[in-house]
Amino acid sequence: MQNKKGYIDSVYCGSGVDGKGLRCVVFFSGCNLRCPFCHNPETLCKSGQEISAEELFARLKRYKPYFKKGGVTLSGGEPFLQKEFLLDLAVLLKSGGIHVVAETNGTIADEEILSALDGVIVDVKNQEENDLCGYEKFFDACGRAGCDYTITNVLVPGKNDSCDKLSALSALVGKRGKRVKFLPFRKLCEDKYAELGLNFIYAGMREAEEEDIIKAEKAVNQL
Amino acid sequence: MAKQEFKSGVYEGEINVRDFIQRNYTPYEGGAEFLSGPTARTNKMMEKVNALLKAESEKGGVLDVDTERVSSLLTYPAGYIDRENEIIVGLQTDAPLKRGVNPFGGIRMARQSCEAYGYKLSDKVEEEFSFKTTHNDGVFHVYTDDMKAVRHAGLLTGLPDAYGRGRIIGDYRRVALYGADRLIEEKECDRRAYGKKLMDEANIRTLEELYKQIDFLKKLKEMARLYGKDISAPAQNAEEAIQWTYFAYLAAIKEQNGAAMSLGRVSTFFDIYIERDLADGTLTEEKAQELIDDFVIKLRITRQLRTPEYNDLFGGDPTWTTESIGGMGEDGRTLVTKTSYRILNTLYNLGAAPEPNLTVLWSERLPEPFKNFCAKVSIDTDSIQYENDDLMRPIYGDDYGIACCVSAMKIGKQMQFFGARCNLAKLLLLALNGGKDEKSGKQLGPEGESFKGRLDYKKVRAAYSKYIGWLCNLYVNTLNVIHYMHDKYAYEKIQMALHDTEVERFLACGVAGLSVAVDSLSAIKYASVTPVYNDEGIIYDFKIEGDFPKYGNDDDRVDGIAVELLREFHETLKKTPAYRGAKHTLSVLTITSNVVYGKKTGATPDGRAAGEPFAPGANPMHNRDLSGALASLNSVAKLPYDCCRDGISNTFSIVPSALGEDREERAENLTDMMDGYFSQGAHHLNVNVFDREKLVAAMEHPELYPNVTIRVSGYAVNFHKLSKAHQLEVLKRTYHGRI
Repeated sequence: MQNKKGYIDSVYCGSGVDGKGLRCVVFFSGCNLRCPFCHNPETLCKSGQEISAEELFARLKRYKPYFKKGGVTLSGGEPFLQKEFLLDLAVLLKSGGIHVVAETNGTIADEEILSALDGVIVDVKNQEENDLCGYEKFFDACGRAGCDYTITNVLVPGKNDSCDKLSALSALVGKRGKRVKFLPFRKLCEDKYAELGLNFIYAGMREAEEEDIIKAEKAVNQL
Repeated sequence: MAKQEFKSGVYEGEINVRDFIQRNYTPYEGGAEFLSGPTARTNKMMEKVNALLKAESEKGGVLDVDTERVSSLLTYPAGYIDRENEIIVGLQTDAPLKRGVNPFGGIRMARQSCEAYGYKLSDKVEEEFSFKTTHNDGVFHVYTDDMKAVRHAGLLTGLPDAYGRGRIIGDYRRVALYGADRLIEEKECDRRAYGKKLMDEANIRTLEELYKQIDFLKKLKEMARLYGKDISAPAQNAEEAIQWTYFAYLAAIKEQNGAAMSLGRVSTFFDIYIERDLADGTLTEEKAQELIDDFVIKLRITRQLRTPEYNDLFGGDPTWTTESIGGMGEDGRTLVTKTSYRILNTLYNLGAAPEPNLTVLWSERLPEPFKNFCAKVSIDTDSIQYENDDLMRPIYGDDYGIACCVSAMKIGKQMQFFGARCNLAKLLLLALNGGKDEKSGKQLGPEGESFKGRLDYKKVRAAYSKYIGWLCNLYVNTLNVIHYMHDKYAYEKIQMALHDTEVERFLACGVAGLSVAVDSLSAIKYASVTPVYNDEGIIYDFKIEGDFPKYGNDDDRVDGIAVELLREFHETLKKTPAYRGAKHTLSVLTITSNVVYGKKTGATPDGRAAGEPFAPGANPMHNRDLSGALASLNSVAKLPYDCCRDGISNTFSIVPSALGEDREERAENLTDMMDGYFSQGAHHLNVNVFDREKLVAAMEHPELYPNVTIRVSGYAVNFHKLSKAHQLEVLKRTYHGRI
């Protein structure tokens, strides 16, 4: 154990949409990216509450009775930025028989972290970026570490729903036999931006509707 | 082919329905694929019923009232919805949805309820009752000034002192299994045995009660005869078993207008007859479902005549025709049968509806396909509640039923004296004001010191204990008066005829405003709370500085306060002996009275404004349980059932998109959620899976959403039948989602 304290924004107990089964989600504070569509702007800076891995584990294990198929999801922020804390926590969770996955932006291809997890959910950020090479490196690392990975992508109409964007995405995942789970861009986080006094750059963008998702699914997953 | 004989057992020599079930039922561990949809006949019947329901709604909630007659078993001629096509017959009056009057609980309430809907109680009934003492008369002859004062102030609310007390479940199955004659014979036998005892007050009372029971069993036979049925002998097939059982239930709701007139646990009992008929080819699956559908149609149209004030407490015109489904047997076999599925399937065949109040007895060991089916029905209809069989079975055995929302009792062997509830939040304010009512300024309790300046937790807690002691004594005494008079003037003749003569009784007390009281104590303990006084020196508000832990976030610092408070309250209740040797029990349940209680309570130290509704039952206060659904559930799961044997109600709403990606995943996650919650010793969960937006739309355009059914507090209602105040309160609740 490295006994390094971590910074988290909050813990949400009871999500059915952050990995398999019912899960507790730990929102790590601090991120190395500044995505203009970020849904959790409160987690961008390394602030929030300071907590030890043991303390956090003690809190999380209270929910074990609900974790039949589920477990804990480390999210944020970018959890991979707090390596020592994450490793300590992952060891504790695994020793307690609790499934642990992380949601990551895939920019930190750290095999040691990947080996400590039961899986990762990688969100591909292609809204403002065309170069997806970094993800190749990350997926390779997952392979070497034996860490199962799934891929998500926030679909922002007018940004990454064009044919070019979708076929590039398809090329990235197709050769690895993976599918992309599209997450519709939503503006429910607007209030949070206002509260934090931050500018929500994508405020003028259109929210993704079900048809947008279906279209993107077809283009990327049914090739 | 001749009927297969039932397996023999001790049930033949004594009245013992459980033994009959255990020896003859067929557990079912498969899935829902065998189920049948509605027949053309059922659809046609539902068209008629839906038209009647629409007419009822258009007339302001009451279709018709018979003001000429007093409701009882033989008062009305036979009534039908569609005589040609009905299978299970019998109505409360001579026409569907027509309400009868039942003044035995109190003539004033009967009169007022007629007037509220534009009717006038007939002179004939008025005159008849001018010579009668009603339950209500009896109670008010004896009520002390103190009792009247706490009742008036809203420290005790919802007391059953003007209508039937309800919450008693007759073992209606007995009529089907034994036939009325055998039941009469058994009661005659008890009567002879009692006749040999000392003629003291208790034995004389029992003898008189036995006389009434036998008299009403005879009337029950007569009532069935009005419909051309002879129920003297046991039922011979599934249709008769359902019909005989229904007649017994029907007799109960003709005789009594208790708030909760629950059905018990009939599905697995019926299944035995259905299985036998299916085996000998006299029934098909389609016909079996049709029988259950027709039975449930009857249960859906049961009605009682109520006043608008009554609806404030029990919104949405509920009857609590609670049917307990599933559970496990003591021998480890599941009590789930195909008819457990069939009765839940009525929610698809007939459409979602609040009644009967379908209650699934949940066990971790229930067959997985059944758990999954229940979860799907919940997601699709929001019409089921769940109660922890693993918690109740060790106490009540495997043939108990739920009365009302959360009150468990061994069917035919235990009954309860319904005691409504006291207002814990208001009691705290009373303690802070030295025994004065914070609304009226009147001295209600014993005079004490009024708190000044920043509140000290220890001192407040000590004063609270003192007033808990005072109120518990007054509360039990008030209930003793009520139930003595109910037994005397409105005894449940047919329901008690369907109990053993020796019954165990509970005095079912309750508390409301738990989360408000607990958060208030937490604020006093962990933040800084200073009262603000009016000119008369009464506290009307509080200045709160700093944050404090709130109940509903799985934080032991505050959840522990709730546990301690409930234990203390229950212990204190027990200090005052209850009428007829009843055992004191406690519920954390409000029905919809959380709105009225809120209205009658001033601002509280947790920051709740004066008049604002409480959270229902044992729920955390609205939107204070912000750590997620599981944290909220964990807090409620800590409340101790061992001192809250009358039930701990938790009404839970989650948005579908937070529960999972698709229907299959949502069902799996809901199942895991209940397994996790109940495995920690939690008692009850009302499950709603919908978006808040849907309710907003239903509130604005009721005509477009006539069938939106939601679980409120131990029961379900049609959302459009709730008052505006209740609708707004429902919208204020926490909808667990994740943004």
